[in-house]
Amino acid sequence: MRWKENDIKQYLPEKEYIDTLLIPLIPFDPASDQMMGKQAFQKEINQIFTSLIEKEYRGRIFLAPEYYYISGAAETEVSRVNSWINQFKKQPFMHVFLFTFDAKWKKHEDELTGKLLWVPAIQSGNIQSTETQSFVKEQAGQISELIQAYW
Amino acid sequence: MSDKKRVSRRQFLNYTLTGVGGFMAAGMLAPMVRFAIDPVLQTKEGGEMHSVASVDEITNEPTRVEWTIDQVDGWYESEVQKTAWVYRNEKDEIVALSPICTHLGCTVDWASNEEYPNQFYCPCHGGRYTKDGVNVKGTPPTAPLPVYEHKVEEGMLYLGEAQSRKGA
Ligand code: FES
Repeated sequence: MRWKENDIKQYLPEKEYIDTLLIPLIPFDPASDQMMGKQAFQKEINQIFTSLIEKEYRGRIFLAPEYYYISGAAETEVSRVNSWINQFKKQPFMHVFLFTFDAKWKKHEDELTGKLLWVPAIQSGNIQSTETQSFVKEQAGQISELIQAYW
Repeated sequence: MSDKKRVSRRQFLNYTLTGVGGFMAAGMLAPMVRFAIDPVLQTKEGGEMHSVASVDEITNEPTRVEWTIDQVDGWYESEVQKTAWVYRNEKDEIVALSPICTHLGCTVDWASNEEYPNQFYCPCHGGRYTKDGVNVKGTPPTAPLPVYEHKVEEGMLYLGEAQSRKGA
């Protein structure tokens, strides 16, 4: 399920079944020419990833709105992420996963109230290339297996 | 001159008010209009058939076939990947089932659960379907997996739209 009117209509009466929340954590920094291209690419890949997972498991996984933050500030973001999770926990979510390519979160994993799914970033490349596509598909498959291990 | 101006001001006011009124009316009408045109706004697949596999590759074992369609969904046009489970039944007829679980929409797999090697299994809440796609009683789904319309031409299998079926 997604943060879309139609999905919410389906979610509300069946919420007990949709017990898993997935929040994408997406860093960006428009101040740096150097970072922009790379971060935009990673944002796109992140969306493709989470869409694949949502599509296969939409009856059990809720894909939250994306969590954006200025890159490099992971430590100051911990409490804001946790407050998102707190609000979501007012619904019957049992499992909360945070999906990111940003390794900075790794250091703060223990302070987060959701499970961190950190995947090493693919360096920029052609998003349409079959190589990128099959890589993303395979990794998405592994991530969903990991999520299923918690069910 | 000033008269003209006043008129034009009144006109302007008039327009604005009609505008607002019209807008409000549209607001009230919207739900009804939406009802009326809903089928148009909904996902449209144009009823086209897509060639998905060569017929001699199809065996008794359900296999996953994938293809993409251009989907017009209200505002967006996008490429959407479609999937079907395809096999031949005992009567040697080709069957193409939608993999979308009729419970809450997860994707089902053939024989993915060791305990049920001859069923479709939904990883989300353990929904199950027999090989013909009929939901197993006592599991969450309440209807069978939809069946794709299909045709065979020059050795190729073509699939159209998935048709839902009544609950078992
Ligand atoms: S979505 Fe398949 S059993 Fe619930």
